Amino acid sequence: MSLHYGGPQIAIGVVFALLALVFATAFLVIAVQAGSDVGFERVHDVGYWLRRRWLALLVVVGVVVVGISLFDLPYASGGAGRTVVKVTGGQFFWSLQPAQVSAGTRVRFDVTSVDVNHGFGLYDPHGHLIGSVQAMPGYHNKLDLTLSEAGVYWIRCFEYCGLNHSTMESSFKVTRG
Amino acid sequence: MASVTAPAPSALHPRAAAFTEGARSVERRIGLLFAATGTVLILLMGVLGLIMRLTQANVIDVSPAWFYRLLTLHGMGMITGALIAAMGALWYVLHESVPLRVGHMLASYALTVVGAVCVLVATLVGGFGAGWTFLPPLSFYPAGQWPVWSESLFFVGMLLVGGGFFVYCIDVLRQTTNTFGGLTGALGWRFLAEHEAQPPPASVIAATVIAFDGLLAMSAGMTIGLGLLGRTYDSGVGFDLLVSKNLVYFFGHTIANLLIYLVAGAVYVLLPRYAGRPYEVTKVFVAGWGVALVLIVTVYSHHLYMDFVQPRWAQIVSEISSYASALPVAVVTVYSMTMLVWGSRYRWTLASTLLYLGLMGWAIGGTGAVIDSIIPFNFRLHNTVWVVAHFHTYLMLTVVVWLLAFIAHLLERDAGRTSSRLARTWTVMLLLVGGFGLTGTWFVEGVLGVPRRYAIQPPGTAGYSLVGSIFGILFALGVLACVAQLVSLGRAAWAGRHYVVAERVDSWTGTHYGARVERDTFERPAVETAPWRPWDVPLAGPVQIWFGAAACVVALASFFPQIVSASESSVRYHHLDHAGHFFLGVVAGLTIASLPAVSRRLGDRSSLGLAGVMLAPSAMMLVMVPRFYEPLEHHSFEHALYHLAMAGFGLVTGLAASRLGRVGGRLSAFLSVGMVLLFAAAMKGG
Repeated sequence: MSLHYGGPQIAIGVVFALLALVFATAFLVIAVQAGSDVGFERVHDVGYWLRRRWLALLVVVGVVVVGISLFDLPYASGGAGRTVVKVTGGQFFWSLQPAQVSAGTRVRFDVTSVDVNHGFGLYDPHGHLIGSVQAMPGYHNKLDLTLSEAGVYWIRCFEYCGLNHSTMESSFKVTRG
Repeated sequence: MASVTAPAPSALHPRAAAFTEGARSVERRIGLLFAATGTVLILLMGVLGLIMRLTQANVIDVSPAWFYRLLTLHGMGMITGALIAAMGALWYVLHESVPLRVGHMLASYALTVVGAVCVLVATLVGGFGAGWTFLPPLSFYPAGQWPVWSESLFFVGMLLVGGGFFVYCIDVLRQTTNTFGGLTGALGWRFLAEHEAQPPPASVIAATVIAFDGLLAMSAGMTIGLGLLGRTYDSGVGFDLLVSKNLVYFFGHTIANLLIYLVAGAVYVLLPRYAGRPYEVTKVFVAGWGVALVLIVTVYSHHLYMDFVQPRWAQIVSEISSYASALPVAVVTVYSMTMLVWGSRYRWTLASTLLYLGLMGWAIGGTGAVIDSIIPFNFRLHNTVWVVAHFHTYLMLTVVVWLLAFIAHLLERDAGRTSSRLARTWTVMLLLVGGFGLTGTWFVEGVLGVPRRYAIQPPGTAGYSLVGSIFGILFALGVLACVAQLVSLGRAAWAGRHYVVAERVDSWTGTHYGARVERDTFERPAVETAPWRPWDVPLAGPVQIWFGAAACVVALASFFPQIVSASESSVRYHHLDHAGHFFLGVVAGLTIASLPAVSRRLGDRSSLGLAGVMLAPSAMMLVMVPRFYEPLEHHSFEHALYHLAMAGFGLVTGLAASRLGRVGGRLSAFLSVGMVLLFAAAMKGG
């Protein structure tokens, strides 16, 4: 299975690239200005005035972004009416029970491991990474998803687990309802 | 012919002389020793990094077994190398105003270097490859790749490196708090509350925060490291993997994070010397570092976002902390440094250029980290190479670049010159293009969803690794170009160790010429160490001593037969009972040694104290395994002695802690008890 850029990830990447560009430009401008001779009192006055606004901007952005993010947490809650798929990781295999569901099913992946920590990374049939959850011995992490598209979903290990970590993969089938 | 002598040429800003002290030879030597050792280690580990990237690009063929050995060594070696060098950089600037002890610094060096050698042998000879984060219980599932001795040696190495940093942090904390009026004084809080008119220097505030948080992180790391070491000789030892994971990341994340803060503490002193403006410690600065003191240790939990069993509140606290921890960096450190540079007629030398470059690496790498710390984004980026991208951005383009800047600063000051403009331009271009190119390919692969730590890349992604490798080679060339300039500056500094070429002006003709004049060998006197005082002990005054005695009486309960018997119901309760015995011993030791008459007799034995607070709790945890105590359980006398020994380990710890001053002693005693409690929480078997 080959990987493809997922929509949310592209959006994240573009935001980061723009911010990096803004910072790079700012540092370039400051470096150019570094050669000039400006009284430190003037730098103080303007710099501290600007710093208060910079802090306010970062606080506002933080409150908004963190606040919104709390409404989109991937953590499972409730669980009534969900089809449970038991996922067990081990060196170096995945076991899924059942190994297929029909499209549109509200699935709860109950993820654990029999030996060391693994990571259950799920890709949709187009090779877009949906997300990942850890598989830890002695604990069950529950991931709720609704897989609306039929096809073969791929699983890769997302936590370093030893020699064959990079080839520890499996698949999960979603049939047409 | 009369002549007018101008000052000896300096690489620093002309205005810097007003606030720049001459470096003492001990500072230069310690700084160079640590920075050079660290840089050599970093260079070697960089070669391993390049080998791994070329393997992922299918250019060279390294087996997965060797790939993961190299991965483990690369991670641990880089952290250790950067740590050694960064400790030296901060010590160099801190020693100006704080009487740090050279002996403790050399002990720290020895421990760290021996630890690094252990890790080298464990990975390259033993084949240990569980990653530098050694997430339990992976070390004990080697898939036929490494023997038990390599596990033991790796953990011994990790504990020695941790011990080296522990010694460093204790000495820094003890001396800053002694010199600047206790913990609140050294953190600048007394200035913040307007009880003092003058704040401590910026580097002192930074160093106090780093030492405090470093001790917390090392305690967690040593606890899990000792547990894992115990497991190598007793397979009956078991772990609660969620608690263990918390301990591993609390240690690992915090140490990696502190690397930047360690060097930043030095940059507060170095960068102003090229801007000709002293760094101003304001109330905002003090408050920013106060916030950092807390946030540095609370952000680690974002490594467990995808462990859904971690309590929800911890996930949310971690997300808020992770974002908030960026604020002091963005608003105080990086911002105020750019204010210093703006319009300053900044003196561009090799050191100052790298110092400035490092600020940009921190801003951009930090942005990538903040994005990853938002939980819904992390769901899509967790353990993809995005993570590799952001931490390499600020480790390569901030920490490594700043460490090179530190060495350049030392050599430029001694040589009285910098390298050529052409060489500097090429170096910066190579570092910028190579560094951001390499991390850029990882960022793009992260967006694509490529998982990290893959010896064999997913189909169709080897091309990214190839492009990344090419950029990596460019970055390596930039580092080598920088090292070549450092060697040249070093030779100039060595040649001029007795003489300097001073610029002179012929008073008749007005022409300038260089003349060899004897170097001014005057050294400003070292900051005097305050004489040891018997009352500089953790429990000060009768009230605190009575309080300690009362705590001993309460802790005696851990020996009540009913409590001992009830604690046998589970390993965790049993260990908790041992922690009670240990606590009794610690408080008894502190109380007895804090009595003025006893303290006077014990004297200033800080080296013994340091050894005691590290070795006694470690020994206790190493014997708390079934193979030692199970045979004793059927012999009541020996069993009672075993329990008594737990209190004995505590007593030694308490007595030892009492020799580390008020703040150092209290904190090390508190942390030793914390360690045995964490040990009880993390162990299920044993």
